[in-house]
Amino acid sequence: MSTSPSRVTSSIKPSKSTLEGAIDGAHESGAFDIISAYGRQLQNEDTPMPIAAVLALTELIANSRAETMYELVEALKLGAATLKRGTPNPISLTAGCDLFIRYVTTARQESPSFSDHKNHLVREGNLYAHNLASTCREQITKLSAGFIPDEAVILTHSYSRVVIQTLIHAHKRKRISVFVTEARPLGLGVKAHEILVQAGIPCTLVLDSAVAYIMDKIDLVLVGSEAVVESGGLINAVGSYQMAIIAKAANKPLYALAESYKFLRSFPLSQYDLPSHSPNVLRVPTQHASKSSTSASRNSTSSIKSARSSNRCHPMGSRTMGNKSSASYIPLTMTVDQLANNPEVDYTRPDLITLVFSDVGILTPSGVSQFLVGIFAD
Amino acid sequence: MPASTIEVKDKASQRAVDVVVAKLRRRQIFGSHETALETVLLLRQVVAAAKFNTIDQLLDMVRRVGRRLVEAQPREQSVGNIVRKVLKLIRDEYAAVAGPISQSGTSTPQLPTGLSRQPWASSVANFVLLGHPRHQGSSLSLAERSGNSTPVSVEGQLLADESNRKVSSIKPALIDAIQEVIDELETVYESVARNARDHIHSDDIVLTIGKSRTVESFLKAAARDRKFIVIVAETAPSYVFFSDFFRCTPDPLGKIVTFRYLGREMASSLSSAGISTVLVPDSCLYALMSRVNKVIIGAHAVMANGGMFAIAGSLVAASAARAHSTPVIVCTGQFKLTPLWNLHYQYASVDVGDPERVLSSVGDGGDAPEGVDIINPWFDYVKPELVDVLITNYGDHPPAYVYRLVKETYDDEDIEI
Repeated sequence: MSTSPSRVTSSIKPSKSTLEGAIDGAHESGAFDIISAYGRQLQNEDTPMPIAAVLALTELIANSRAETMYELVEALKLGAATLKRGTPNPISLTAGCDLFIRYVTTARQESPSFSDHKNHLVREGNLYAHNLASTCREQITKLSAGFIPDEAVILTHSYSRVVIQTLIHAHKRKRISVFVTEARPLGLGVKAHEILVQAGIPCTLVLDSAVAYIMDKIDLVLVGSEAVVESGGLINAVGSYQMAIIAKAANKPLYALAESYKFLRSFPLSQYDLPSHSPNVLRVPTQHASKSSTSASRNSTSSIKSARSSNRCHPMGSRTMGNKSSASYIPLTMTVDQLANNPEVDYTRPDLITLVFSDVGILTPSGVSQFLVGIFAD
Repeated sequence: MPASTIEVKDKASQRAVDVVVAKLRRRQIFGSHETALETVLLLRQVVAAAKFNTIDQLLDMVRRVGRRLVEAQPREQSVGNIVRKVLKLIRDEYAAVAGPISQSGTSTPQLPTGLSRQPWASSVANFVLLGHPRHQGSSLSLAERSGNSTPVSVEGQLLADESNRKVSSIKPALIDAIQEVIDELETVYESVARNARDHIHSDDIVLTIGKSRTVESFLKAAARDRKFIVIVAETAPSYVFFSDFFRCTPDPLGKIVTFRYLGREMASSLSSAGISTVLVPDSCLYALMSRVNKVIIGAHAVMANGGMFAIAGSLVAASAARAHSTPVIVCTGQFKLTPLWNLHYQYASVDVGDPERVLSSVGDGGDAPEGVDIINPWFDYVKPELVDVLITNYGDHPPAYVYRLVKETYDDEDIEI
């Protein structure tokens, strides 16, 4: 994934050549490596990606030898761009980077010395990052509590810290039961299920494909988010979009929970506008065959067969296509290659979202864009 | 809450509070406009008579009175709205006098939520909360942290003292501000109707339900420039407002002297203003909808998500309108905008009318059918998706914008009174 061309829709990304030159320069001088700093921050499991990005940028400021505001901001932009390029799914860290850079550019310099100002920025950045994540979640938990009625049956998708916290909070006061989707391919729903069961919440694991089946029993849908975009739509683990469509069709409210550092300044119009989308995702088999280096001339069927033979530990569903009466009915799983062809996140349209709960308040989807404009407009 | 804990010292104000609380509880004051007006008049009296040393005392006093009123009649959301508005006015007037130092002397009053008033809040967090880079003071967080380690800086203490002295001087300005709220309430119908001619075209067929004074004045204002037809649903069995009910039942036996359908009243009122009016039974709303150009209804309370409580039958009208893609226009004063989300009574009526109204339509004043329960829900909850536009005394807004208006009108700290 990291070799795929970055398609970050950010306006601050410098052209590729200057970027690489600058990075090389940075490496030569043995300067600060933002990607490893980011990785270090992420090792703490409680640190969400945007906050890790803020911390990495804070470290960058601390290590920066910039003498002027312009230099510093350029260095930050460069660092953010490097970080985005070096990460397979840069969506949520982009939100953190944009927010922090915006803060730095607008912060008033109090002391005459620029290094003091830098220290101040570092302090503020650390203070923000270390306190905010948990407080945000608490605030969201409080706001959403009123929307969960007693004896509510709640459907949620995949694993999200804020959703889990909200559900546990609600469980202490009300009788709730929860359905969690498995959330292929990462299966994070299983993790969420485990945590919820441990907390004593009646909880059932649901196939991603059984969402429509279960929807009539549901009172409300709660989803976390990777990012909330300017349209008020939502970027989240793949499967959220179809869940939202089904919820809408069944007239069930869908509430999105998003900390304010996940608000992303981006306006995707379709699934294929997401930064994480690349031509590799869900391509048609013939294209696959023509582009693949190992099976350039083969047709789609043979390429599937080759995939199967190369991954014997992952017998595939396509086996039954030609041979329905196959005696050995081994558990069906996709190959690693096939999985890699699938998207990790999808985009949920704002008209499918009832409300967005965030630490800055309860917002209608259109309110998200007003909020973003408030921060980023000059 | 026992009356003894109320900090209203003044006997006359105390008595006035008790009277309004009792009236609210007995439904002798009914309807969003009437209750709002009573509330603001009472609060003006309380503030005028109040003796206070700090702004917090005044806020606390007003909040206590407000809490009693809201608890006396939680179904009248506009009572709470007016209390919140007055609290916001007090804060604003105080901020204008005392400058950026607020009651605690450590944070600016402009910060939109209580979150930012916590000691940990960094300037980045404030930046996010304020939603605007230009308003942030980056020195703020430093002040907060220093104020955290040492109780309050000497300078801050001095400033706080000084602003306390200013507190008593804001009273006249405060009374003026409250008077403005009263004036606004008294002219709200005309203000809403100001642009009526832009919303109704010649030869339109407009459908309405119930008898909303806002809609009534809106239609009459439009009738000055346009010729159009109004279809009024008779709105059975909600014959009268409670307040009218109390007025028109002098009979000690409790016998109802007069019955009036709200829809019929509306129809005769519009007709007397020279508007072509058609009165129809409620049951034919759907059938008529294909001929209707727009539906105009009033609201009892508009919630923060843009949904609203309106007289029973409004949901039928709005749903039928949606089925025919007919626009639904809601006329409402901004005092009905409630900073609450419709949480617990989403699909149920918040208020139940007198079942005798239903009974009396069974027979002449007649007997209940054996073994049948009778309920008379008073309000419908109309979801924001069913409403196209809200016409208020401060312009026209889509329902999705209500949360923003609410945020601007009230202080976040006052949402729970």
